[in-house]
Formats: sequence, C-alpha cells, structure tokens
Amino acid sequence: MPESSAATLSDNKPIGNLFSLALRLLWRDWQGGELRLLFIALVMAVTSVTGIALFTDRLEKALLLESANMLAADRIVSGRGDLPREVLEEGQARGLRTAEILSFTSMAFSDTGNMLVAAKAVTDAYPLRGEVIIADEPFVRGRPAQTGPPAGEVWLESRALPALGIEVGDSVFVGEAELRVSQIIIAEPDRTGGNMMDSAGPRLMLHMDDVEQTNVVQLGSRVSYRYLFAADEVAELDSFEEWFRAREEWRGRYYMRDIREESEEVREALERAESFLLLGSLFAVLLAGVAIALTAKRYSERHYDYVAILKTFGCTSAQISFIYLAIQLVLAAVAVLVGWILGWLVHRIILAFLESLLLVSLPDPGLQPYVVGSLTAFICLLAFALPPLLALRETPPLRVLRKDMSQQKIGPNVPYVFGILGTIFLVYWYSQDLELTVVLVSSVAAIALFLSIISYLFLRSSGSAGMKAGSAWLLAMTAARRRRKQNVLQVMVFSVTIMSLLILTLLRTDLIEEWQAQLPENTPNHFMMNITQNQIAGIESFFAENGIQGNQFYPLISARVTRVNGDLPVPGDQADVSIGSGTLTENAQLDDVELDEEVSEALSGPQTDAPPVNADEATSGGRRVRGRLSRRQVTWAEHLPNDNLVTAGSWWGSESEPGYVSIEQEYADWLDLQIGDRLEFEVNQQLVTAEVSSFRSVRWDNMQPNFFIIFSPGTIDHIGATFLSTALMEREQKILLNDLIRMFPTMVIIEIDGLIEQVQTIIAQVTSAIELISVLVLLCGALVLLACVNASLDERFHENAILRTLGAGRKLILTSLLIEFASIGLVAGLIATIGAEASVYYLQEEVFEQEFSLHYWVWIAGPLLGMLIIAGLGVNSTRRVVNISPLNVLRRVV
Amino acid sequence: MIETRNLVKAVDTSEGILTILKGIGIKIEAGEAVAIVGASGSGKSTLLGLMAGLDGASSGEIILDGHSLSELNEEQRAILRGQLVGFVFQSFQLLPSLTALENVMLPIELKGDQQAREKATNLLDRVGLAERWHHYPNQLSGGEQQRVAIARAFATEARVLFADEPTGNLDTVTGAKVVDLLFELNREYSTTLVLVTHDERLASRCDRKIRLVAGEVVEDEKIGDALSA
Repeated sequence: MPESSAATLSDNKPIGNLFSLALRLLWRDWQGGELRLLFIALVMAVTSVTGIALFTDRLEKALLLESANMLAADRIVSGRGDLPREVLEEGQARGLRTAEILSFTSMAFSDTGNMLVAAKAVTDAYPLRGEVIIADEPFVRGRPAQTGPPAGEVWLESRALPALGIEVGDSVFVGEAELRVSQIIIAEPDRTGGNMMDSAGPRLMLHMDDVEQTNVVQLGSRVSYRYLFAADEVAELDSFEEWFRAREEWRGRYYMRDIREESEEVREALERAESFLLLGSLFAVLLAGVAIALTAKRYSERHYDYVAILKTFGCTSAQISFIYLAIQLVLAAVAVLVGWILGWLVHRIILAFLESLLLVSLPDPGLQPYVVGSLTAFICLLAFALPPLLALRETPPLRVLRKDMSQQKIGPNVPYVFGILGTIFLVYWYSQDLELTVVLVSSVAAIALFLSIISYLFLRSSGSAGMKAGSAWLLAMTAARRRRKQNVLQVMVFSVTIMSLLILTLLRTDLIEEWQAQLPENTPNHFMMNITQNQIAGIESFFAENGIQGNQFYPLISARVTRVNGDLPVPGDQADVSIGSGTLTENAQLDDVELDEEVSEALSGPQTDAPPVNADEATSGGRRVRGRLSRRQVTWAEHLPNDNLVTAGSWWGSESEPGYVSIEQEYADWLDLQIGDRLEFEVNQQLVTAEVSSFRSVRWDNMQPNFFIIFSPGTIDHIGATFLSTALMEREQKILLNDLIRMFPTMVIIEIDGLIEQVQTIIAQVTSAIELISVLVLLCGALVLLACVNASLDERFHENAILRTLGAGRKLILTSLLIEFASIGLVAGLIATIGAEASVYYLQEEVFEQEFSLHYWVWIAGPLLGMLIIAGLGVNSTRRVVNISPLNVLRRVV
Repeated sequence: MIETRNLVKAVDTSEGILTILKGIGIKIEAGEAVAIVGASGSGKSTLLGLMAGLDGASSGEIILDGHSLSELNEEQRAILRGQLVGFVFQSFQLLPSLTALENVMLPIELKGDQQAREKATNLLDRVGLAERWHHYPNQLSGGEQQRVAIARAFATEARVLFADEPTGNLDTVTGAKVVDLLFELNREYSTTLVLVTHDERLASRCDRKIRLVAGEVVEDEKIGDALSA
C-alpha cells in the first residue's frame, strides 16, 4: 500500500524567489510591450483622477475664497432694521472675525453741488475677505487697502467727485456731519453683493463711528444692517450657522447667507462645472477601467501557457496568484507614481493659463487628490484587471500537452461582475450621490443591453449582406460574422467609448453656449429706473450723442392680483414657495416683500431717496414668489420680449386689443391659472380686469428686464407709470453717469457691471477647465479603442498568416481588414449617437437643468467619426498582421 | 516507482462520454526507461499526463513514488511534481520571455536552491549551449530549444522524466541528436524515463515498450526480450 502521502508534501518555495520571478516576468513583458497598454491605462486613470482632483480641489478653494471676497466675508447676517447684537457676540465668542456694515441712501452736499449717494458705514475690521481698492485721485487703477476709512474721513467713488465739484482733501456733508474726502474708491469687494441701497448712486464709505453725528439714521429710517463673519475653518462657520438657524424666532426676519446663495450665476456655474468635472473624471476612469479590463484580459490569455508550465514545475495556484498579484501591484505602484507626476503636471498646465484669471492666489492642494488617484488605480486594478489575472490560477497544467485546455472553474462572467461592482463603487465614491449612482449605472446597463442586441443583430445579418460584393468585402463580412461574439463586445466597447466622448462634447458645447448666451458680450450693465414718459426722448438722445448702447423702455407699474375668475386667488403653496432665486441680492428681495406698501407709495411720488421699484423683477433676476400675493412690477408691451417663449396660448399681434394679459408659466402654475381665465388686478388703487391670453417661459438669468405679468397695450396705459430701461456702458463711459443724473435727477441707476464682470470671469475659468477635462477623457477613449483593437490582434495574426500562406495577397487582406473595422466603426458610431442623444437628454433635463434639443450634426458626425477612427486605428494596429512573415506567425502560434 | 491500477479516463463530449483509457494497469520500476507507443488518439499522451499528475483520473489508481495521486488535490500534485518530476515536451514549452539560462534556472529557483545559476550554466554547457545562454527561445532553432528544455528537465535532478514526443517537431538528424542527449543524461542521472512516441525507432532505444490501441494496453514487452525472442 502506498504511504499516505499528503502529509509529506509541503510547499517550501521561498517567497523571495517567487517575487524575483514575478519581477523578471514583469520586466520581460514590459520589454515585449505586453504590459504597456495596461500600464498606460492605469497611468491615464491615475493622471486624470489626480489631475482633476488637484485642479478642482484648488479651484474650488480659490473660487470659494474669491467668492468670499465678493461678499467681503464668509457668512453674512442681514435683515430688516436692527440686527440682534447677540449674533455678533456669539460669533466673537466662537472666535470668528466679525465686522459690521450699515447701508443707507443719503444726499451728499458740497459747496458746489449735491448728489444722492449709496452710503456705507463700516467698522475697523471691514472687509473680512478681499480688499478695498483705493487711490489718491479719481479714475485711476488704485492700490489695495485692508480696512475702510478711519473716523472723520470718507472715501468716495470716482464719479461722485466731478458731480459734487470737489477734489480729494475737500469736505462733504453727509447729513449733519462734515467729513473729509481722503481717498477714492476704485473697487470694493462686496459692491455687487450689497442690497438695493448700494446700487442707488456712487458709493460713499464712512466709519461706523461717524454715523451718529450725521444724524441721518433715526428710528424708522430706511437702513440696512449687515454683520460679516469669517473664519479659517469651514467647520467653525458651519457650526455657527447651525446655531443661528436653530433660532426659530429669527426665521423670516434675519438671514444668514454665503456666496452660494448670493449669486445665482456663480452658484449655477459652479454647480454645473462641478457636475461636469465629476462626470468627466468618471468617464475618464471608467474608460480607463475598460481599457484596463481589455488589456488585462488579453495579458492573462497570453499567460495561460506560462502558468501551465509553471504548474508543471510544481507551482501551486496560490503561488501563481502571488506571482501575478505581485506583477500587478508593482506595475500599479509605478503607474501611481507616474500618474501623480502627470496629474500634477496636468493641473499645473490648466492653472498656468487660468491663474491670471483668478483674483486670489491659489491655496496649496491637500494630499487628498493623491490618495484619491492612487486608490482609483488599485480599485481599477481590483475590479477590472484582477479577475482575469486571478483566473490564471485555474489554468490546468495539462495545457502543456493539450492547448485546448482552458479555464473552467471561474465562469466567463465573473470578470464582468467584478467590473460592474467596481464601477458602481467608483461612481458612488466620486459622486457620494446614491441617486446619481443608481441612475447612471442602470442607464449604462440598459444602454449596454440595447447595444449588444443591436450589434448582434447587425453582425448576424452581415453574412448575407456581404455575399454579392467582391472578395475583400466577403472576407470582411464573414470575418465579422465569425468573430460575432468578440465583435459584439468590440462594438459595445467602441459604442460606449464614442458615446462617452459625444456626451461630453455635446454637454460641453451646450453648457458653454448657454453660458455665453446668458451673458453675451453686449449684456447691458446698467439699469435705469423711475424714468417718466417725457424723459425718454431726452435719455435716448443723450445715449445717441455719447455712443452709449441703450435699449427698449419698459413701462413699470405696481400691481396685485386680487381675483381669479371672480374668486380670491388661491396660490398652490401658501408656504415659502420658491420658483427660483434672484440674481440681485437677497436683501433686495427682502426689501421687496417688506416694503410692499412703501414701494407703491414711492412709485407714485415724483422723487424718492429709496429704490422705488420691486427690484427683483425690474432687474430681471429675482423670481421668488414668497408665499403671499405680493405686488409685482408689471408692464405692457406690444412685442414679446427677447428670451421669452410663449408656452401656451398666443401672443397678441401688432393689432392688439386692450384687455389681455400674459403670465409667466411658473407663476401661472403657482396660481393654477388657465388660458382664458379672467384676472382682476389692483393697479394703483384702480381695478383692472384682463383675460389671460398666453403663458410665457422667461430666461431669468439673462440679466435683462423680465416680468411675471405683461399686459396688452391699452389695458393699463391710462394709469400713470414710470419706465425702466437698460444700457451698456463701458468703463470709460461711467463718468457720463454724472451728467445723466444731473439731467434727469429723478432717475435711479443701478450699476451691475461689476457683477457681470465677475460672473464672466468665473464662467471663463470654468469653461477652460471643462475643455481640458474633455481632452483628458478623449485620450482615455482613444486608449480604450486601441486596447480593444489590440485585444483581437492575436487571432487576426493567426488567421491572416494562414490566409497568406494559402495565397491571399496583402492588398486583399488589408482591404478586408479596412472594411471589417470600418463597418464595426460605422455601427458603433451610429449606436453611440443614439445613446449619446438619449443620455444628453436625460442629463440636461435632470442634472444640468437645460433645455434639450436634438444635435443634428452628431447624427452625421457620430457614425462618420466612428468609421474613420475605428478603421484608422484598426488598420494601423493590424498592419503588422500582413507585414510579418506568415512563417513567423505560424511558428509562434504552434 | 510508478504504478497504475485499472486506470480509466473518460471525458464528456457532445456525442456522449468518450472513454480514452480503459482500465490501464502497468508498473514502471525506478531507473527504467519505458516507451509508450501507439497511433494518434490511442490515449498515450493522456496516460502520460495522468502518470505525471497533470490531470486527474476518472477512476483507478496511480501511485507515483509511493504517493497515491488520486488522494492528492491539484495543489499537492503540483508540489509533488516540483519535487519528483521533469518534463520534455514536443513543443518545447520554454517561457518565451526568459533567456535560455533563465528557463533552465526557473525550476531550480522554484525549489529554493541558491545555486540555480551555477547548476543551470553547467547543464547548458552539458547540452552544448553554453555560448547561447542569453538567447531567448525565439532566437534559437527547434533543436536548440529542445536542448534547453532537456537541460531544464534535468535541472532539478528529477527522479522521473516524462517526455512527450520529444522529437515530434524536429527533423530526423536534429531529432537523433536530441534523443542521444536525452538518453545520455538519463543514464547519467539514473532517472526513470517515461517516453511517449509514435516513432518505433525511438521507442526501441528504451528498456521497455508499452503499446496502446484505443485506450488499452495491447503489448508490454522488455526491448531486450523482444530482441532476444
């Protein structure tokens, strides 16, 4: 009887020997080019993730910092009237830096003139973020100052000096206080982030201590207080905000804001850019993942024989796993190092041309981007490369005798399961958004299923389609059919890759176009309000004389919906309904709500020292419908305003009749209105009835005058109205504002040029970032295509060697390869186009909140590009198939 | 040294179960050189694979150097192969990414022997390829590749050498030289040799010849006996 043998068999191969074998295999495979694509794919994954993470990390920090500069603080507390001192004291107790601002409008007097100024009293610490740019004389570039004016002095904006007929060093009276003009304000960080009172005239900045002696601020005065807070740690600010929001009794009276609530454009641009960058880096990693999976699969297939021989010599499965794990880990470690360096370079390149646009110096990046980059490499490897490599351990040693012996224990779908799990994990890890993960993964799965069915059907039919078309065509089609299974996979990979690139290109183009459309170069940057009918001609001729680009004059009148079809209106949601948020300040909107009555009174008076209009509508942006039927500024017009689209009913023609009204769609939804409803309005204490003839969609973010309610001409014309218009004034034309104010003293001008410039800067930065990410993803896509073509090389080598041995010419084989790849590319391109349009539709509707429209050019460019790229790549990679001698190939294969 | 008892190997095919080996019972003594001959498809390579522990039998028993292979799993068989067995294949089976020297060193290194390089160099010298040690397999002719494979097979001083059609891919003259070398080393190392071939002349150089027809042993004779008979 044989002895029981298992106990005597112990495995004592030294780990060091196995590792050195692994290194030698790695080195040889590297030299033989086998690992290059896998390595490049890993490097691309690390590079794109590290690069994007470094870039977004620093850009986000910088943008937040810059945005904070727009506020002059990290958080602002504002509200109507006095603010509770408790807020300030709590902030101070928590170690936050604090400052106070008091805004009011006042007349400033000099010996030679007077004008309405937007006064702003500040404490010593102002500004907490950013700098006030001051100069010794008006209309120059200026230098930064870290504080506001000291007590006893005022700083004035340039154009106030000629209007008041004074120079630096002279005195002005603000109320009862005589203050010396010591500096000129060229720019202030929160010039656009203040409230309506800050836009009512040129700035006059004074010290908080001087306010008392001006005697202009008294009980009941129209003033606006703001407390500013800043801290180095976001956590401190967040916990402070939590404390603030917990105070129920302050809700609705006092508000805490940061930059994200401050400017709709900045917020949207940042959020969309973040979504895009996220999507971009996801695509880059997933494409790199596919490339890794393809190259790893090919690599492992080429190593079956290795493993069989190693096993014949006594290597156990565990040792095989060790060897290949060691190879992959060493490779990944090197790829991570190279990826870090390249990622750092990529982000430096972006920053090199963006840095000049950024107003603040960039904070140093943290270590996190590097960690994210390296983890990505290892997760990619684990999900995409390890399964086929670990399958190697199951190679039967008998393969040394019988080549047809292959892997049996791990099912062919196991690698896909790993890949899918890895993908889900990566998507969730990057987005931290379960819904997005579920949606993205299930749509990719649906698309993949759809693609595989379509491409299978196509390839199944290709045999008969090719029968009549010459031998190269026949050869190509039969080859495509014979490799149906691999080709379905190839078409799927090609489609998904091209689709990703198309999606990104379409989104990028649409995003950038929309941003540019939102703020075209000639966007008006000044709003003029409180204009009377008889001033219009004078203003128009002033603009014409001075080369200022003026725009249409809109009548403006305050109105309130009092009845809908004879009943009291019932809004859809009595709570704090928000249809969106405003472009101008929250403050202005608060003023709007609370100053309702005042505003209507102010409107009827000939002159006012307060902004006389409901600013949110008048200046286009604000569209908060706060849960009550407040007064709205309405207008009448013959023509549909630009950027308005009729969504239901019809716009009155040029022969319009009085008695009709057009309502903004969301406002109509809120009031549950139907076309044909009869609305009763109270307009200037008169009741007017009009029939709803149309609903409109309005582009609230175009910085143009926009209205919820527009009447047909003749309906309310008899009720006195003031007019609103906009103008584009270049920086050097701003001095003309003084003449304009002097000529039309009742007119109020709101300057939003600073805001527009800031928004345009941010959009420009974000656009450049998006361009670069697109290029990165494009590179990853090319890598996948290359890997996919290479994956089928071995079989092609063998087949074509046999064909050539049997007498097929190079030309025939090359032509057939060209036809095969071109048809695969064509199908992939077509499928990709369908998938891309569907995905863009979803993304624009759900994620980017854009209007979707078909991109006709893609339907031609997609298939054509697919055909050209795949045919080019394919023939280029397989050209070696015909250039290498058939004998060499056959000998190698034997 | 090697014994098979009622060894059966059957595989599933699309046309039903195909029995490749039908109850083989043979015994090979240590130091013996045995040729297994037969036509293509007779099951001789399958028998070699089973005896070397490269595959598992459907039923029956194989005892290799006192170890019952049917009681071992693939991991234990691998260890046993590493300790006992050397191989020479028809298609050489050199690792293309290793040089001639590295190929010979590989099994020695896997055993943890620190003198791998020295031993491998000596063996390459012995098979007449000392000058070509740094060449990769694709830079060597077929005969040279098989000589490297022979050097590798003896590198671990295996006690049993399995050779599967060692001259199958070589021309007659080269084949003869390779066979001379194989037998020379076999004698030198006192290795048990199991050689699968359809070449009767090659088989006749062994001590014993086992003929398979359709998975059954139809002839098992000592060459000397046959010659004297």
